[in-house]
Amino acid sequence: MRTDDLIAQLSSGLEPVKSGAVARLLLGAAALGLAGSVLLLLAMIGPRPDLAAAMAHPGMWTKLAYTFAIAAFGLWLVERAGRPGAGLTRPVLALTLPLLAILLLAGLQMSAPGADMPGLVMGRSSRVCATYVTLTALPTLAATFWALRKLAPTEPTLAGAGAGLFAGAAGAFVYCFHCSEEAAPFIAVWYTLGIGLVTVLGAFLGRYLLRW
Amino acid sequence: MIAQEAQYRDWMLAALKGDAGAYRMLLAGLTRHLRSYYARRLDSGAAEDAVQETLIAIHTRRATYDPALPFTAWVYGIARYKLIDEYRRHKRRATVPLEEAGDLFGHDEAEETIARRDVGKLLDKLTPAKRQLVSDIKLDGVSVAEAAKRSGLSESAVKVTVHRAIKSLNENLREELKEERRGDADR
Repeated sequence: MRTDDLIAQLSSGLEPVKSGAVARLLLGAAALGLAGSVLLLLAMIGPRPDLAAAMAHPGMWTKLAYTFAIAAFGLWLVERAGRPGAGLTRPVLALTLPLLAILLLAGLQMSAPGADMPGLVMGRSSRVCATYVTLTALPTLAATFWALRKLAPTEPTLAGAGAGLFAGAAGAFVYCFHCSEEAAPFIAVWYTLGIGLVTVLGAFLGRYLLRW
Repeated sequence: MIAQEAQYRDWMLAALKGDAGAYRMLLAGLTRHLRSYYARRLDSGAAEDAVQETLIAIHTRRATYDPALPFTAWVYGIARYKLIDEYRRHKRRATVPLEEAGDLFGHDEAEETIARRDVGKLLDKLTPAKRQLVSDIKLDGVSVAEAAKRSGLSESAVKVTVHRAIKSLNENLREELKEERRGDADR
């Protein structure tokens, strides 16, 4: 086909694009993925039996705030990575904030007088935590990839890593409702490891699945 | 700031609201830059395919343009991605140096036509026989043996003739540039 004909064809019957189309697509995919992750958690292991009482514990809110902040900044990173020519510096810098906060809090708890350091780090579920976070994240990872494929990620590996980071944090957020650990050192190590695993998985898959 | 930014951005914003006329002007304008960009990096058949692929990508992914960001950087991001994609498909090389968007918008077809015309003007200063040899060998890539057969000269005569012609062209060009500079200084 001649290029002039192509231009004529593309511009005839041009549909207007609603502003905020990208945000709506990503938020829709995130909601869908999160619903999938919740269903998977319920089918797999269910919520902790003492959930109502746990909601009064500050440790529960630490976990939720940490994972929510990473998920929010991670989704911002995905949005930037899906737009050609957009810089990624600001979301990446923002992502260091929750990480610094949890490390600071973990340091404070570890340095308290009489702290049981190995107990604070290892908890009771360190062997399964990262695995459950990864599994719970998978529906959200799939939904985020589906949305990213409609955008224009010029660095597929990086965009995949962003999707993995968001999905990992979303999976960790959902896993919070099952997990009975409350210590910041445990969260800083094992939650972060789970999120990191999904990020690596996303980077790997992005190389192949995010081409356009 | 790239000179075309304001104009192209206006067209793009109008196009996103559904203005087909502005969109057509935008795509026609971008095509000139894309042609020149790919022509300098791919062979001619692949270059035109890449132009069309990029136009289609611009069209199908137009929602990803964020009006808060420069439009030329957005187009350049897509053009560079499609170039890498083309290289990858032919397993030539997987990396493209990160240049500025100016690299896409610094040139267009018109400029290259001028460059070709300048070469043509310069060649006109040679005798017809020499001009034929230089343009066959240096511009069209004909082999020395083939050119010798066509012109009825020996291979070594062809080489010497071309060498001398290029040398005289260089001198001509140097003179012209000197005059131009003198002209600029007078102004």
